[in-house]
Amino acid sequence: MKKISGLVVLLTLLSAGLFAQGGAQEDKVTISGFVRDSSSGEALIGAAVYVKELQKGTSANAYGFYSLTLARGTYNLVIHFVGYREKVLNLKLDVSKSLDFQLSSTVIETREVTVTAERKDRNVESAELGRVELELEKIKSLPALLGEVDLLKTIQLLPGVQDAGEGNSGFYVRGGGPDQNLVLLDEGVVYNASHLFGFFSVFNPDAVKNITLTKGGMPAQYGGRLSSVLDISMKDGHQKEYHAEGGIGYIASRLTLEGPIVKDKSSFIVSGRRTFVDLFLREPFVPASSPIVGNSYYFFDLNAKVNYTLSSRDRLYLSGYFGRDVFNFRSRETGFSVRIPWGNATTSLRWNHLFNEKLFMNTSLIFSDYNFEFGAQQQQFDFRIFSGIRDYNAKVDLNWFPTILHNVKFGANYIYHRFTPTNAYARSGDVVFDLGDVTRYYAHDAAAYINDEWDISEKFRLSGGLRATYFAHVGPFDRYVEDPAFAGRFIDTLSYAKGEKVADYFNLEPRLSMRYELNSTSSVKAAYTQNYQYIHIASFGSVSLPTDVWVPSTDKIQPQFAVQYALGYFRNFSDNMYETSVEVYCKEMENQIDYEEGATPDQDVRNNPDNNFVFGRGWSYGAEFFIKKSRGKLNGWLGYTLSYTNRNFPDLNLGRTFPAKYDRRHDVSLVMVYDRSRKWTFGLTWVYATGDALTLPAERYFMSAGPPVNVQPNGELGLSNNFYILSGYDQRNGFRQKAYHRLDLSATLRPTRSRDKKFKGEWVFSVYNFYGRQNPYFIYFDVEGNSQEGNQRVQAKQVSLFSIIPSVTYNFKF
Amino acid sequence: MKKFLYLILVVFFAVSCEKNIELDLPDVAGAVVVDGYVENGIPPYILLSKSEPYFDPIGQSSLNNLPLRGALVYLSNGTDTVLLTEIDTVINGVQTGGFYVALDSNTFLPTMVGEPGTTYSLRILTPEGAEVSATALLPPPVPLDSTWYLKQEELDSLGWGWARLSDPDTLGNNYRLFAKRLHRDPYFLAPFGSAFEDKFINGESFNFAFSRGSLLNSSAEEDNSIEAGFFKRGDTIVVKFCAVDRATFEFWRDAENQLGSNGSPFAVPSNIKSNIKGGRGLFATYTATFDTIIAN
Repeated sequence: MKKISGLVVLLTLLSAGLFAQGGAQEDKVTISGFVRDSSSGEALIGAAVYVKELQKGTSANAYGFYSLTLARGTYNLVIHFVGYREKVLNLKLDVSKSLDFQLSSTVIETREVTVTAERKDRNVESAELGRVELELEKIKSLPALLGEVDLLKTIQLLPGVQDAGEGNSGFYVRGGGPDQNLVLLDEGVVYNASHLFGFFSVFNPDAVKNITLTKGGMPAQYGGRLSSVLDISMKDGHQKEYHAEGGIGYIASRLTLEGPIVKDKSSFIVSGRRTFVDLFLREPFVPASSPIVGNSYYFFDLNAKVNYTLSSRDRLYLSGYFGRDVFNFRSRETGFSVRIPWGNATTSLRWNHLFNEKLFMNTSLIFSDYNFEFGAQQQQFDFRIFSGIRDYNAKVDLNWFPTILHNVKFGANYIYHRFTPTNAYARSGDVVFDLGDVTRYYAHDAAAYINDEWDISEKFRLSGGLRATYFAHVGPFDRYVEDPAFAGRFIDTLSYAKGEKVADYFNLEPRLSMRYELNSTSSVKAAYTQNYQYIHIASFGSVSLPTDVWVPSTDKIQPQFAVQYALGYFRNFSDNMYETSVEVYCKEMENQIDYEEGATPDQDVRNNPDNNFVFGRGWSYGAEFFIKKSRGKLNGWLGYTLSYTNRNFPDLNLGRTFPAKYDRRHDVSLVMVYDRSRKWTFGLTWVYATGDALTLPAERYFMSAGPPVNVQPNGELGLSNNFYILSGYDQRNGFRQKAYHRLDLSATLRPTRSRDKKFKGEWVFSVYNFYGRQNPYFIYFDVEGNSQEGNQRVQAKQVSLFSIIPSVTYNFKF
Repeated sequence: MKKFLYLILVVFFAVSCEKNIELDLPDVAGAVVVDGYVENGIPPYILLSKSEPYFDPIGQSSLNNLPLRGALVYLSNGTDTVLLTEIDTVINGVQTGGFYVALDSNTFLPTMVGEPGTTYSLRILTPEGAEVSATALLPPPVPLDSTWYLKQEELDSLGWGWARLSDPDTLGNNYRLFAKRLHRDPYFLAPFGSAFEDKFINGESFNFAFSRGSLLNSSAEEDNSIEAGFFKRGDTIVVKFCAVDRATFEFWRDAENQLGSNGSPFAVPSNIKSNIKGGRGLFATYTATFDTIIAN
């Protein structure tokens, strides 16, 4: 109960605040509606709707809806969205009315924003800490590895977010593991957001409208993960005209089609991306006799979305994502072949309903699926491993704007999970090996929440909420009870019937953040959040891999729990041209999971994976500095993070505390975009990061490869000198790689075409690792020299992945 | 996994470079390393050595310092306890020590021989006063049903060794396989993946293939060409199939993982599971049965 102390106070405060003004409602009127792009009709998520006289306002929600309740009167209303021309309206409000706003993009015209009204910037004004929104147009003009624009790699350039290694699109937020990030694509959970072992993320930038990352101060509508929420919204599709957009790159090519089905009422978007290197690894490019034939790798993504406006109060959206990686390998000499397909699928059906001008509802039905398969064949031997996770999710979210002082969100969510941890099938000739029945875990996952953003006074805003969560692991399930004296041998099996409860958990998660405005250009903010996480990844590897399996909280696995405290100072300069912030945070995480030392994937087969887990705690603290220039020909940001991340597991590293692999003392990112002219845009990114922590051997020892004294059938005796050099390890993650730094440059050329204005083409030239830094990717050991001469030694070799990599991508739009 | 990664990298990026680096690591060394064997029908023997700092040069002087001499090594079969005799041995033509065997120091007659079904306890007192111990069971023999050679399609004279095994009904059997080509291999060699357990094959009769093991860091043509891992028509192959203790299986499973994942960016390095209390290494048990294959 200690964990929820202060909760009662919070709830009392909230309800007092909400219902106090009940009496004065008659004098007030409400304006509400949607903020959209004037040409495409796309909803502008997060657009500010602001009353100049009151220095107060609201922002459009995920569907572009806003609602403002004001006293009767005449106001100057400012509608603002980054990258769009600001709109100012003088309005006489005497009755409630619905008012939609259309903003026109400035990107197409001058790429220069003019400021026409005084307005407090969201950076200073909001109560949110640790929340960042990225503008897609800006991401597209930044340099990219092999020209493949990658949203997740741009996320990594933000303070508090770390990359998972060279070229990897995985990310770690404030000392949290990769499974602690909730990645949502149109509300559907994407369980493995990368292709090609992490080199590219699954999000096709052409299909994406908006990205928001929450790394701290998570509001109550989000839950289920400890560290962050990456919320990605797909475009709805152009409401008025048909458009096509695409690109040809070194890695993959893309094509997007969008347009109205019924003008201004219904639209669609379909977007595909595929690699094509495999198409050249076959005839006629490669002779059929070549050993390469039969080996291939490809990935693709397909996004599709349709929406239909039923009435002025109702709108339906159906969106889906499907992506796969497929790897094929065949060796003709040994008759050995491997096929590894894996990927995600999500579908969401959503219904927006407006009950009245103050109450907005979205109801969603969501399906998410991730699966991985590995199949190998040699001779008569046939081997298959498969794993995955599947969710059926129903969700209702309401957004209530009772007065200008409040923005209330509440709702409920239910997910039925089906987990398939590593299962295997093996056959040699006609004999099928007994690898046990397919083991699965089933779970109910429910949550209800309420959150209010309340302007208590001119200066003080409180965003407080509570999330109640219930999680139950249910049958059918077999718990294998291991013999404590003999790992891998079972003395009992506990069987649970379908629907029978194996373990359940109920928890309350208070979320609190507040802002105090010092003046119109600066504020301080503080946040306190508690999160529970009921589903987990334990990884055999040191990085995220498609083989990672998700498992639920069970009778053995307690839910992960985190408390985060954050404090920030926000200040804008030069008429909001420069946004700066300093945030400090401290995060404690309980019930963290890892495999026991030396565990191998085969231990999961015909066993419950959680029998092989060990549990411990982690903690992280740090400071994040951020300077952003959001306007002007030259814009971009500079971020610096100082952080410490440690873990302690009684059963790992002899119980000694060790740094997390992604413990990173210093992390610097510089991002610059220079819009030189309509024709040319230049981009630059520079990153610097303390080297990864890794475990290296401390000592070596010799062991004979087999009995060195060989007694043969004829009684002959022999002594071998066939010895292995084996490694002994001491401190886990006790060594540091060399620091990582890299400069990337890009230039975008838009040839001017006077005649056919509709068609727009652009060339993006990109150079990755401009000064050719040999960054460490991994270290391995080789024995060199000659033992007879006494100079034989173990040599460490550092392998670097990418040297200077130039690339060219051609994009078009019409 | 590393090869797999390389393939991906080569297909996609055709780049990656490598350089020597110097690492500054703390010196941790001096652990007692036990390399002990109990085999059916022969006197048990133990090789004792010490661990060394990982990056120290390996040479004659270091090899000379490696053996742990002058230890008291006691071996018990539950009823009798014997003190093993330290015998000078020659490895690579060099006089070495640290070899302790269950032979009488005067008569050189066995004081104990490995008997299947017996649990052996090892207790070592080093001259420095450290105590190291281990326990292992020498399991009953499980012979192979049959063995044969099968040539690989597409490859004229090369092929795999094959065997049929009937695993006993009770769970908990562990195996390790060695093979030796008469007049060609100096010793019995273990192929990669030589150690396996019956977790997935309990009580089954099935056929399996095995490749040819090679000497470590072999520079022989046959180990560095297409012939690597294959037996060849004309070979006489002696198969030494051993029922082993659980700890022996686990040690070699982990050791092969460690050797195979050297430097893999995906692997979490970890210590090899050991049944030695107070030291590193393995007190292994092998109950061997032999078969001979003529490859043709």
